[in-house]
Amino acid sequence: RYPEGAFPHRSAFLPPTVCVPALWGSVPWGMKLQCVSLWLLGTMLILCFVDSRSLRKCLISTDMHHVEESFQEIKRAIQAKDIFPNVTILSTLETLQSIKPLDVCCVTKNLLAFYVDRVFKDHQEPHPQILRKISSIANSFLYMQKTLRQCQEQRQCHCRQEATNVTRVIHDNYDQLEARSAAIKSLGELDVFLAWIDKNHEVTSSA
Amino acid sequence: MVLEEVWTSRFMWFVYALIPCLCTGEVAVLPAPQNLSVLSTNMKHLLVWSPVIVPGETVCYSVEYQGEYESLYMSHIWIPSSWCSLTEGPECDVTDDITATVPYSLRVRATLGSQTSAWSILKHPFNRNSTILTPPGMEITKDGLHLVIKLEDLGPQFEFLVAYWRREPGAEERVKMVRSGSIPVHLETMEPWAAYCVKAQTFVKAIGRYSAFSQTECVEVQGEAIPLALALFAFVGFMLILVVVPLFIWKMGRLLQYSCCPVVVLPDTLKITNSPQKLISCGREEVHPCTMAVMSSEEIFRVWIS
Repeated sequence: RYPEGAFPHRSAFLPPTVCVPALWGSVPWGMKLQCVSLWLLGTMLILCFVDSRSLRKCLISTDMHHVEESFQEIKRAIQAKDIFPNVTILSTLETLQSIKPLDVCCVTKNLLAFYVDRVFKDHQEPHPQILRKISSIANSFLYMQKTLRQCQEQRQCHCRQEATNVTRVIHDNYDQLEARSAAIKSLGELDVFLAWIDKNHEVTSSA
Repeated sequence: MVLEEVWTSRFMWFVYALIPCLCTGEVAVLPAPQNLSVLSTNMKHLLVWSPVIVPGETVCYSVEYQGEYESLYMSHIWIPSSWCSLTEGPECDVTDDITATVPYSLRVRATLGSQTSAWSILKHPFNRNSTILTPPGMEITKDGLHLVIKLEDLGPQFEFLVAYWRREPGAEERVKMVRSGSIPVHLETMEPWAAYCVKAQTFVKAIGRYSAFSQTECVEVQGEAIPLALALFAFVGFMLILVVVPLFIWKMGRLLQYSCCPVVVLPDTLKITNSPQKLISCGREEVHPCTMAVMSSEEIFRVWIS
């Protein structure tokens, strides 16, 4: 009765039904133009809504609040170790902000892989308390990757050129620094990534 | 010959080395804890094991964990448990360590003074999505006509789905999402002479699972007895007023009449009853001017007053 992870959603936008094909010949040009543009707008909205709705449902069971909380506890300690404050790896918030809805899935998948495959591995943390929090975040990211993979098996998560370019820029920025410094800097920029996920996936936190 | 001598001397050295162990009969190494398992209910995870018994001594235990990430990418990393770096009891609350929905490996070792046992690892890694979710405890109360529910506090990871309906055929079941327990929540304003039923289940977003529904609890709204008594009382009071007030007014009127405008009452001695004097009225008989008129005592009194 209550399928896991599903919550009631508002119904999709329906285009107006004034443009009945049988009466098309008798409709004046002005009205025809209006009808066409309304249909196009309606179709676009449906596509956008369906696509973004599917992404929101994918990560809906992730406890993002806990991940954000874990990061906040170690943020100061991690950022204090960053010796290149004027350099950025996630290419500032603007680059991530410019990512279109169709590319969100691919960029999320790629950035999760970036952190899991490179950043967490390159960072050697000596303090047990900070190590616990990083472990918590890393394992949560692993879970998010699995969830995203399962979800995207049903819907396709194509990587367009724009998404691939953004990912390449981030990897290039990372490679310009020595691995340990790059890892510390990327860890320090986790709040940027988490905020972006929050915004694009509308994952509500269980506080 | 030389080779035989070398082997013989080495063999003897080995025998001599074993003598202390054979003679003392004591276990040199502390045994590792056995039978590790995780008991998990409502997202509280408890690692338990069989205690290591050393007579007269208190054995301590250390617990470490490794998430799936560590086991895949850095298998040499084991993280000390938040609360059980050195604990006495044969159990450890690992709730704060298991923070992601991935398999976690757990290991325990015993410590006694300078001796430590080998690590004993949990046979099957534990994933918190296997936790047992129990139906939530709930308290249904009526605040006048308001149906109020108070749910058990299970922590920040729990949300509640409350289903409630009016107990009558074809009634619609309504659902309300409650974010946290321990705070009373208003469900509905009930109608008098109606019964309402409620049941609830928990939802843990982190693992995407629901518990079973709790037992249904129903409440009935009575409410009429009090207004009925009130109406009866009001009626009796009104009837009393209807009788008492006119009586009171009449009495007061009489009182006022007696005090303000008293009626003149002649004393008995001045009243004429069967008087021997004859009363003569003017005009009936011829009256001589000098004839004395006989008047009644009342007339005499009236003339005298005027």
